[in-house]
Amino acid sequence: MKRFVKVFWVFLVCILVLSSTACKRKSSENGKLYLYNWTYYTPDNLVAKFEEETGIDVIIDNFASNEEMFAKVMAGGNKGYDILFPSSDYTQIMIKLGLLAELDHEKLPNLSHIAPLIREKATYDPHFSYAVPYFMGSSGIAVNTERVEGAYERSWAIFSDPRFAGRMSLLDDMREVMGAALKHLGFEGNTTDEEELTMAAELINKSWKPNIVKFDSESFGKAFSRGEFVVVHAYPENVFAELPSENWPSIDFFIPAEGGMMYIDNMVIPVGADNIENAHTFINFIHNPENYALFLDAFGFPPTTNTGAAQYMKNTDFFFSVEDLAHSDNIQDLGPDLEIYNQLWQTVRYEH
Amino acid sequence: MKKTLKPREREQLLGTMYGGPMGLWFTLFFTVPLGIIILYSFMKRGLYGGVEWEFTLDAYRQMFNPSFAMVVVRTLWISVLSTFLCILIAIPCGYAMAKSKHQTFLLFLIIIPFWTNSLIRIYAWISILSTEGFINSLLMRIGLIDSGLKLIYNNGAVVLVLIYMYLPFAILPLFTTIDKFDFSLLDAARDLGATKLGAIVKVMFPNIRSGLSTAFIFTFIPIFGAYTVPLLVGGKDSTMIGNIIVDQVSKTRNWPLASAFSMILTLISLVGVFWMLYNGKREQMQKGSKKTTQQALEHNIKAHHSLRGTK
Repeated sequence: MKRFVKVFWVFLVCILVLSSTACKRKSSENGKLYLYNWTYYTPDNLVAKFEEETGIDVIIDNFASNEEMFAKVMAGGNKGYDILFPSSDYTQIMIKLGLLAELDHEKLPNLSHIAPLIREKATYDPHFSYAVPYFMGSSGIAVNTERVEGAYERSWAIFSDPRFAGRMSLLDDMREVMGAALKHLGFEGNTTDEEELTMAAELINKSWKPNIVKFDSESFGKAFSRGEFVVVHAYPENVFAELPSENWPSIDFFIPAEGGMMYIDNMVIPVGADNIENAHTFINFIHNPENYALFLDAFGFPPTTNTGAAQYMKNTDFFFSVEDLAHSDNIQDLGPDLEIYNQLWQTVRYEH
Repeated sequence: MKKTLKPREREQLLGTMYGGPMGLWFTLFFTVPLGIIILYSFMKRGLYGGVEWEFTLDAYRQMFNPSFAMVVVRTLWISVLSTFLCILIAIPCGYAMAKSKHQTFLLFLIIIPFWTNSLIRIYAWISILSTEGFINSLLMRIGLIDSGLKLIYNNGAVVLVLIYMYLPFAILPLFTTIDKFDFSLLDAARDLGATKLGAIVKVMFPNIRSGLSTAFIFTFIPIFGAYTVPLLVGGKDSTMIGNIIVDQVSKTRNWPLASAFSMILTLISLVGVFWMLYNGKREQMQKGSKKTTQQALEHNIKAHHSLRGTK
């Protein structure tokens, strides 16, 4: 028993020492900043640099989906965070519901570095009054060229190719897959026209679905890296993250020429945030081209969002370029019309 | 005047006291959330998730469509088949364990998988079953097959992994009841002319009925609500009710519909539990005045304690 008490005391002292040193590191002279970002989307070295330069303490919380973030904000989470990182459709919803604070552009001189194409695509807030783009990216198609023989079409039509039947996957995401089918048929990716949508669902059900193994948003990257899937509808970072860089040349990633569905992730300040001043400092810090290059290099992203960053980047081998996004449509919130998509998507996902 | 409680009353009071915290816990964290789910299933969906406080049967109406019907039927057959196979495997396992000299060690082996997160165990199965996986590369090395078999991303894989995940839940209750079974009854049956299998089916099975029904409930209910297994090892036609619920909450923002589907799962589980309770009661009624060994033991212990109390 004595022995146990001794061990317990040692343990307690260790914890106290550890926590006190942790506190020391976190002592901040210029206040705090609470971020609520996607998992694996805030590079550590960038945060460390920010803390060092500004003396502001950064506390990061993560979410896995827009819905999760949004539900938390609606339940009163707006009070706890200073910057949220929603995708464009949810940015649109949050602006509409009056959940976001207006930004002070005087404190954001670095917005001048943001790519002109974004202003064109960000129809929900073209002047960045509420939302500053964090990253503009897109899904696309990854082909494992080592396991694919012969030429293939570099378009969405690849999913109709019976040669790859049983070795392909589509994202388990209604807007991404329906959008891809719509774009392939030459329609707008955010259309609410029932006839066009029915044609898109039919294309998926009749031509694409028989050839794919599954609708997968969770583990397609792993299955692709194992060679189980040879053609995947994917977000490029998920695919490339699973493979060592020497294998990258054998992957053909492309955004089909007819266009696809793209996204803009934004930085927004919720109404009721405590550290609005620090939030502006962070947003401006991110868009300093030198800092932005650190962010891009951390994930191997191409400089689609901040035009000045390219010259500071170490990585120059990009999965796609900003020109590839020219024909793509940004996923928009469709309000009540989303139900038309839901009905058709049910026939895709649940019937056979 | 000091009021003294009779021992029986005191015992009851103590029982309430001991049960209090647990009762409070379950009321707060089990009954209240369940109440919220029931409430939500009868409300109008909010455009951006959540609900609007307006009574409607929309959610239940939406459930009746051919897409969902297919998923419900699939969920049913997958659950029934996996549960049946689980129990079929678990009976000989439980029997062997009850007969074995190394019971503790075997119990330990059964419990070990629970130390690892279920997701990791599912991913382990993925690497065993995949086209380039363990089984296929082994078969190819032996020369039995030329190209990888499609072992994964179909309903067979879902059933297989479900059986693996929930087999311990079938073995444990069966083991405990078989362990209590008086094996000399089997010898008696054989002496009276029963075959070995006949003795087991006619003498042992009726005596372990409570274990069988517990095993059934413990496996069927979680399998019926399974979500990760069909998501990760299933193919394009492996969606189960659990997946619909997640999709409705996290993708289509239809919380009432998700609640309505949860209600179905809850109702089916309730039917199962009531069936189990009814079975237990009937068994007791059948035994009638004959005291089971368990009851006799309890009686002896009580007598012993009250004797000490008077000393």
